[in-house]
Amino acid sequence: MLKFLARSTALVAMIAASSLAHAETLKMWGPEQITEPLVAQLWNGIKADFEKANPGVTVEFMPPTGTISNGAVQAVIQSDAGPDVILTNSGIGRISVVRNAKQVMPLTEQYEKRGWKDEIYPWLYTELKGQFGGEIYEVPDGLDALGIWYHKDIFEKAGWKIPATWTEFEALTKSIQETGLQPIAIGPRTTGSAGHLFGNLLQSASGKEVIGKALRREIAWDDPSVAAGAIRLQNLVEAGTIKKEMAGLDLDGASRLWFNKRAAMFVAGPWFTANARKAGYDLANAGYAPMPSDIKGAAIPTGGVGWSWLVPVNSRQPELAMKWIDFMLSDAVMKKRAQDPASTMIYPREIPGVEPPTPVLKDIFAAAAGGVGYNPSVYLPGIVLDTYFQVIQGLISGQVGGEDGMKQIQAKMAEAK
Amino acid sequence: MVIHQTPGSKVVAPLRDAPAVAGHTGGISARMSERRTTGAASTAGSSAGDARTALWLMAPALALYATFTLLPIAATFWLSFNSSAGFNTSASFVGFDNYAKAAQDPIVWKSLVHTFLWLAYHVVMAGGLGLLLALAVSRLRITQVFFRTAFFLPHLVSLAVVGVIWANIYDPFFGLLNTALTRIGLGAFTQGWLSDPALVLFSVNVASSWQGFGLYMLLFIAGLQNIDRSLYDAAEVDGANAFQKLIYVTLPGLREVTTFVVSLAMINGLKGFATVFVMTNGGPFYQSELITTYIYRLAFQSQNHGLAAVLCILLSLLAITITILFNRWRARLSQ
Repeated sequence: MLKFLARSTALVAMIAASSLAHAETLKMWGPEQITEPLVAQLWNGIKADFEKANPGVTVEFMPPTGTISNGAVQAVIQSDAGPDVILTNSGIGRISVVRNAKQVMPLTEQYEKRGWKDEIYPWLYTELKGQFGGEIYEVPDGLDALGIWYHKDIFEKAGWKIPATWTEFEALTKSIQETGLQPIAIGPRTTGSAGHLFGNLLQSASGKEVIGKALRREIAWDDPSVAAGAIRLQNLVEAGTIKKEMAGLDLDGASRLWFNKRAAMFVAGPWFTANARKAGYDLANAGYAPMPSDIKGAAIPTGGVGWSWLVPVNSRQPELAMKWIDFMLSDAVMKKRAQDPASTMIYPREIPGVEPPTPVLKDIFAAAAGGVGYNPSVYLPGIVLDTYFQVIQGLISGQVGGEDGMKQIQAKMAEAK
Repeated sequence: MVIHQTPGSKVVAPLRDAPAVAGHTGGISARMSERRTTGAASTAGSSAGDARTALWLMAPALALYATFTLLPIAATFWLSFNSSAGFNTSASFVGFDNYAKAAQDPIVWKSLVHTFLWLAYHVVMAGGLGLLLALAVSRLRITQVFFRTAFFLPHLVSLAVVGVIWANIYDPFFGLLNTALTRIGLGAFTQGWLSDPALVLFSVNVASSWQGFGLYMLLFIAGLQNIDRSLYDAAEVDGANAFQKLIYVTLPGLREVTTFVVSLAMINGLKGFATVFVMTNGGPFYQSELITTYIYRLAFQSQNHGLAAVLCILLSLLAITITILFNRWRARLSQ
């Protein structure tokens, strides 16, 4: 009897040990809105599909506590108990922070080996190849296209429309102000939000080419041709178009102002659909247009790589992480995500035959079809970003002028060299 | 005859017939001396054993202390002399470069001034409110437990949550504070509580102090309960009014508790981080930047660990200096 018991126990232990040996867990730092039911539903479906395609694998979501901009990604990697694969806000500026700290794996080889380079837009691959001397550290998951969101009903009722030129835009903001509405809402306490409006203003005042040159250090940031956008922000604040009090708002506070129709315009990207849905805002009422500009061809959304997959150097499942990225880039997943009502972004390659799930996304895709400009928050070196965001806060709170602010950014750019 | 007297001892008469007992006493003292030597050897042996046992018993705690306190302190000093972009990168020795950079960085000086202001606000607001409420609550009979609990409750809320709550209270468009001011006809007093450079540090500190005052209030209440009631009776007999009783009986009676509360409030003030991080992230334009938030920004956002380490050392020196000065002042006061 005892022998039988011992043998049974040993057998059970062997089975358990062998199943444990095959069981693998992939810890994933997921999208920001994963707690939202609609988004959770989509991601749980993707997780189930991946687990089905890879028997013995369990995907575990780690709800993100922040981004590279606020240090959360760096902290979680440094903890050595972090995720195996990370989806986070990206762009060269942010990626350079984790790349310089040697926290993420180079993925260049995988682009060739796994054919990822053919699964993203060719221009995007060229851009990524040019960032770190040919080495790539991210796999784009979504692109951003930042422009003006407005309320269709309010604009229709008042006979307003987003004009084509800056001069007309200034006149529009004055008309809005006279009605008691806040013309533009902004929440610069959330650094990204500060950068969205500022990037739009820089491009509107200087054009895509000039901002590109400034980002490549071919023109100084305090050069009058670049500083014009900062002066525009200063003027908007001085005219009361943007209230100084907004310096105390974060993205949620500013969004609340817009969702409650106390502000007429808000600068955001396709991801704002998720915020709108969460706030119960009728997305059919949301209109989208690029920031007007007097420069030909400059009235296009700003943007760049918005979100990317990264593999930490201390990932316990690097091979599984690569498999996951393969899976996310597959046609089936791309289509599933693009058609899902929870879809909030422009995908890194064209997905033929897929209609955006909301009218406002359709507008955004149309505006971005001709390409997007630069959102400096995404392209500036990590060391400059903090100064960049603080200068925007300083401009909105009236503590610094446009020229002085740009001088501070330029000083930091020189330091970053 | 010699009379033996030791200070403080009674006068002892010498032994009668001393020579007669000399041999006897000599034998006793020899035996005693022998016993003392053996005893000392055995005591030495047992104390060495005790020390070994104590060391073994302390070893786990010492190992933890070395790993989690001494080693990080040493690592911080080491980092401050190196240029390092993170724990996965190789560091290069730069001597005092990081110290020089810290001295030339205007944000360091700004954040240092803000840290002192923050500390002062916290001691006055959290400590002061704690004392006032303790004085008020301790007079209550039936409702004292309720109010004690109610005022202590904010202390149980995490500082990050407190930050979120107060950021909403301060919202310039929808916030409770500005809405209430407008509703009661004081619209002229509405402010951009978190956007006005002159107000932001104070506003954030109010949130932080709101979370902290409950603990100080409880400490003051405990102190008040220890004051001898007869002193109040005597003061009353002498015709002292309520204010005089407060000045001459209550406050001196709370001296020990007050010094403890002030020390605690200063330490908590120096540790200020969470509310600033959540409510303003040091902004707008560095107007609420503290040394702690700047350290976080440098270490985890810019990955400039060398400079961050210098500021950690600066913060530690600041804490040590303040504690020493405060203790000296306290000692002088009690003399």
